[in-house]
Amino acid sequence: MSSALAETAAAMPASAPPLLEMSGIGKRFGAVQAVQNLALSVQPGEFVTLVGPSGCGKSTLFNMVAGLDEPDPGGILRFKGRGCHARELLGRVSFMPQRDLLLPWRNVIDNAILAQEIEGANRREARARALAMLPEFGLAGFEKQYPHQLSGGMRQRVALMRTFLFERELLLLDEPFGALDALTRSMMQRWLLELWQHHRRTILFITHDVDEAIFLGDRVLVMTARPGSVKLSLPVNLPRPRDPALLTSPEFTALKREVLDAIEEEAMKSFMASA
Amino acid sequence: MSRATQRGLLGAVLLLGSWEALARGLALPAYTLPAISDIILATWQHRSLLASAGWYTLAEALLGYAIGCTAGITLATLLILLPPARRVVMPAMLAINAVPVAAWSPLVLLWLGIGMASKVAMVALAVGFTIFLSALAGFDRQDRRAADLLRSFGAGPIALLFRLRLPAALPLIAAGMRVATVRSLIVAIVTEMLGAQGGLGWIIYQAVVQIDFVQVWSAILVASVLSLSFFGLITWLEQRIIFWR
Ligand SMILES: Nc1ncnc2c1ncn2[C@@H]1O[C@H](COP(=O)(O)OP(=O)(O)OP(=O)(O)O)[C@@H](O)[C@H]1O
Ligand SMILES: [Mg+2]
Repeated sequence: MSSALAETAAAMPASAPPLLEMSGIGKRFGAVQAVQNLALSVQPGEFVTLVGPSGCGKSTLFNMVAGLDEPDPGGILRFKGRGCHARELLGRVSFMPQRDLLLPWRNVIDNAILAQEIEGANRREARARALAMLPEFGLAGFEKQYPHQLSGGMRQRVALMRTFLFERELLLLDEPFGALDALTRSMMQRWLLELWQHHRRTILFITHDVDEAIFLGDRVLVMTARPGSVKLSLPVNLPRPRDPALLTSPEFTALKREVLDAIEEEAMKSFMASA
Repeated sequence: MSRATQRGLLGAVLLLGSWEALARGLALPAYTLPAISDIILATWQHRSLLASAGWYTLAEALLGYAIGCTAGITLATLLILLPPARRVVMPAMLAINAVPVAAWSPLVLLWLGIGMASKVAMVALAVGFTIFLSALAGFDRQDRRAADLLRSFGAGPIALLFRLRLPAALPLIAAGMRVATVRSLIVAIVTEMLGAQGGLGWIIYQAVVQIDFVQVWSAILVASVLSLSFFGLITWLEQRIIFWR
């Protein structure tokens, strides 16, 4: 693990301090040690993807970075180069949870501007700005629709839009495309990459799909089985903009082999532990 | 006309038809069951008396209903914002609520007199409890993950209350308000029967004393029309406002 981290550090320009740094982070829920001795660092503008067996603590990690859960004492958490408590990150990180969690009584536009409204933005101006962004999110003409009138893919895009409109440097996306069919999913992936290139934000992205992790990421983090920590940090030196044809290239396959081997080892471990 | 409406109308016609046939066929005396046609005729003949009594009762019920709803929702909201207060207040509230509403009426009549105020207070008490309990249940039903999401956007307790908890509680609050419509008229009428200067309950009481059973039924007819309309209005509003369920 340490060699992998060193490798990443070498790949990054030394001048830029990491946006997010964690080391020795642990989180215990009663008898369950969800996360233990976790270390990671994310550079500004980087797109980092996170894979790992189910229940290994990925969402727990996000809850800590979003400021919702305090890590157990002893770990180090640094944001923008400054050590801080998790709760100080409330309102400073743009978080998209595993479920879309749209509010059923708000239409598309009002769901999209929820975060800005909470920040105290002028509602009319926020709406106008969101309205102008609808086409970019493939939601043109749907501003007056309510969540129960939308397809799963559209709901995800509204949730993504809400996350993007909360303009913070770091975006946490927890399996944003988990519920989508393969076709919609690959469309959404390319669309997200365009959006990321356009808006230049830093993204931490959880997924169960190894193809997705490699296709999107500058770097793939593989997590160990519970208690979760970072097992492997694999840079993805594939050219951008990325094309779906990449998925069948030998470079891609080699990376995929490496990630899959690491995951398999962990999956076996957690399987043996539960058996 | 929808099928449900057609069936409802058919049911009503059948019920009223057999009522009429029964009363006329068996020549039942008025104190057992007057014919429905007689009741309607009598209602029409006494329409101005019944209308003013109906208004009187409706005014009490609506005023009490409004006060009860406001108080119930406000109290539930305060307890949600101050969880420690909830543990103190809840046992007392449940104890008061365990006493049947009607049992309070002699006291309330004693305190507030036999005018409108006592009826309004009784309705407010009955409605207030219903709404308070359903609002509290609604607030407790909030989704923790949605609350976490709003907190990640920097929302404090007040923003959470108005943007999440209150709207999320609305379906249950509205269900309570729907049930409370009928309750408000019942409580107003029952309290009037115990002592009043007007209203449908007072008319019923007077009619019983004068052995005028058709008049009793007329008042009951007016009361049911009022309470059904009130119920219908709130149900209609509920479907309009809580469209997302
Ligand atoms: N609030 C909590 N209270 C108790 N246990 C928790 C809590 N949150 C998470 N856990 C436990 O911590 C472990 C990690 O959960 P987490 O949701 O982070 O996994 P995950 O990696 O996101 O899984 P998945 O891929 O299935 O979403 C699980 O065993 C879970 O039961
Ligand atoms: Mg998860």
